[in-house]
Amino acid sequence: MSKQTIKRREFIKLTAVGLAVAAGTRAVTQTKASGDAPHGKRQWAMVIDQSKCTGCNYCTLACQAHNDVNPDIQWNKVLENGVVGDQQVYVPRPCMHCAKAPCVEVCPVKASYYREDGIVMMDYDRCIGCRYCQIACPYEARSFNWETFTGDNPAVPEWGTPEVDRRPRGVPEKCSFCYQRIDRGLSLGLTPGVDADATSACVVVCPTGARLFGDLNDPESSASTALRENASYRLRENLGTGPRVYYLPAVPEALRVEV
Amino acid sequence: MFKNLRTKTSITPWTIWLGLMGLILLTGLVSGILVFWNGLVMTNLSDLVPWGLWITIDLSSIALGAGAFSLCAGVYLFGLKRYQPIARTATFIGLIGYTMATLALILDIGKPERFWHSVVYWNTHSLLWEVTMCVILYLTVLVFETMPIIANLEWLRKRLPKIAALMEGVHHYAPFLAILGLGLSSLHQSSLGATYGVIKARPFWFKPEMSVLFMFSAIVGGISLTLFATMLSSRLTKRAKINDVLIERVAHFVGYLLIGYFYFRAWDALATTYTYDPGRSEGLRLLTKGPFAFNFWIVEMLLGMIMPMILLLYKPTRMNPFWRMLSLMLVALGVVAFRWDTNIAGQLVLMPYLPGAAIAYTSYRPSLIEILTGAAIISYGLTAFSLGVKYLRVVDHTLVETAHETVHVNSTEPVTIS
Repeated sequence: MSKQTIKRREFIKLTAVGLAVAAGTRAVTQTKASGDAPHGKRQWAMVIDQSKCTGCNYCTLACQAHNDVNPDIQWNKVLENGVVGDQQVYVPRPCMHCAKAPCVEVCPVKASYYREDGIVMMDYDRCIGCRYCQIACPYEARSFNWETFTGDNPAVPEWGTPEVDRRPRGVPEKCSFCYQRIDRGLSLGLTPGVDADATSACVVVCPTGARLFGDLNDPESSASTALRENASYRLRENLGTGPRVYYLPAVPEALRVEV
Repeated sequence: MFKNLRTKTSITPWTIWLGLMGLILLTGLVSGILVFWNGLVMTNLSDLVPWGLWITIDLSSIALGAGAFSLCAGVYLFGLKRYQPIARTATFIGLIGYTMATLALILDIGKPERFWHSVVYWNTHSLLWEVTMCVILYLTVLVFETMPIIANLEWLRKRLPKIAALMEGVHHYAPFLAILGLGLSSLHQSSLGATYGVIKARPFWFKPEMSVLFMFSAIVGGISLTLFATMLSSRLTKRAKINDVLIERVAHFVGYLLIGYFYFRAWDALATTYTYDPGRSEGLRLLTKGPFAFNFWIVEMLLGMIMPMILLLYKPTRMNPFWRMLSLMLVALGVVAFRWDTNIAGQLVLMPYLPGAAIAYTSYRPSLIEILTGAAIISYGLTAFSLGVKYLRVVDHTLVETAHETVHVNSTEPVTIS
């Protein structure tokens, strides 16, 4: 009898422990932080037409203002990349929002994570500032806050007004595809990529329309159409990271005329 | 420094030593406060080289603390019981090494007040998460393993004899702790290598043998540092009592280990270009011809492997305490150089992400504040060890431990299967 009671007690204990572990695992797997990005209803992508980009840097400035970025940091960098004909060609480089993002995989605390719509997000309140994501990112898309950003943002108000909080000292930051504009726009019934209020600031500000934004799951979105009708490439495609930023290579006949 | 230890002034060498260490610790403390106050802007770290001197100190002190698990496994699991006194020293050094690593990490992370996040928010895909968990768990194991050593504190024995006896009793569980230590150490020592080895964006690091190299070098370096520290303290103080036969035997073993380590490290480095991946030859060039050439050829290869290998395998030099000590010290130094070269060289090669762009290079030189705080972390380790030798009999090969509990099996008893 006594043996049985102990066994029953142990059984109950084991069950309790088992349930606690199961509950724990559920809590742990709440945010998707590893493996491939989850495939939600919408899959945002950006398409950048190098034939149209003039390297004017408006995108960088709009980004600095709307996301209240320290002038020492650029979420979106416009880089020179060779010459076609006699025209300079540029590669604007935001965060690639990889489908299999090294930064998300390596983050020890799941501060970098995938959103359902494919955006690679940073939880600045969770990040411990170890910078492993910077080590892992193949695109140098992340910048660390070596010091607190205080004072005025020189890009405000000329290039826009801040829509998100400044990041604290001690965490890396990066482009978020202006998730705040997308989320707000969707809640107002707008379409990101079509309505300016629901689209990333860099796309809206581009004077030559070199940037397109849209849902890859919607065949009629501007991004899907551009990718269907043009040849495109992605940066460091051989790594298998699956970037969501596509480039339409500069072709001589389509190269922009002076603006 | 050691000349001072031998001069006979009114101040004893011991107080000079403590004073010097105290000075370095104080400067480091002030520098550390400045870093916490002003942020990592005080360092020469950048977005291109985010891991610098502190991470190298972190990697090195974990590597050189590996004597603890290797020697404990040898003594308690592989039955080499007579080396137990050396394992004791190694355990104490392990505890020091891992606390040094923790100090370096606390300085290095941007949000030190959130260090506990890695325990609460798990990303099981992250090598760094695994390393953090293992290091925390292993640090706990080390605390238990060093309890019998701490119990040697005279003050504790007099004031709290019951607690001292309890702490001493922990050594009965040494074999179990050794199993835990072996498991946890194998995991994180190799995973520290994999932390670099999985980074596909940097081909110079991206290779599976990184984990094996880190593991192997840690065992070689950890054992060597333990032996070196043991011999050095026996030369400096009468409180350290050693059995030179034990040290000589283990040093001989290190000599053989070095053959394996040298073969593996040389093969790994010189076969780097075999895959023709862009970035790998560039990384190798930094080691063989670039800013790391002295480190790689002289400190790592010649002084860290070839020379000690010969000196430890050749009996006359091995028997000579000077050459043996020198060799063991050089091995430990070589492992530190390996960590530095690997960590920094991999970051100095900038892989282009633009089509057709060429590979570029960057540079890194630690700032004064990084050096001052780093020196303080090292002097903390030295101080802790010398205090251990003086007050805790950390190096005492005459200390005999009571036998461990063994399971008595009666061979005539019939075995019943339920």
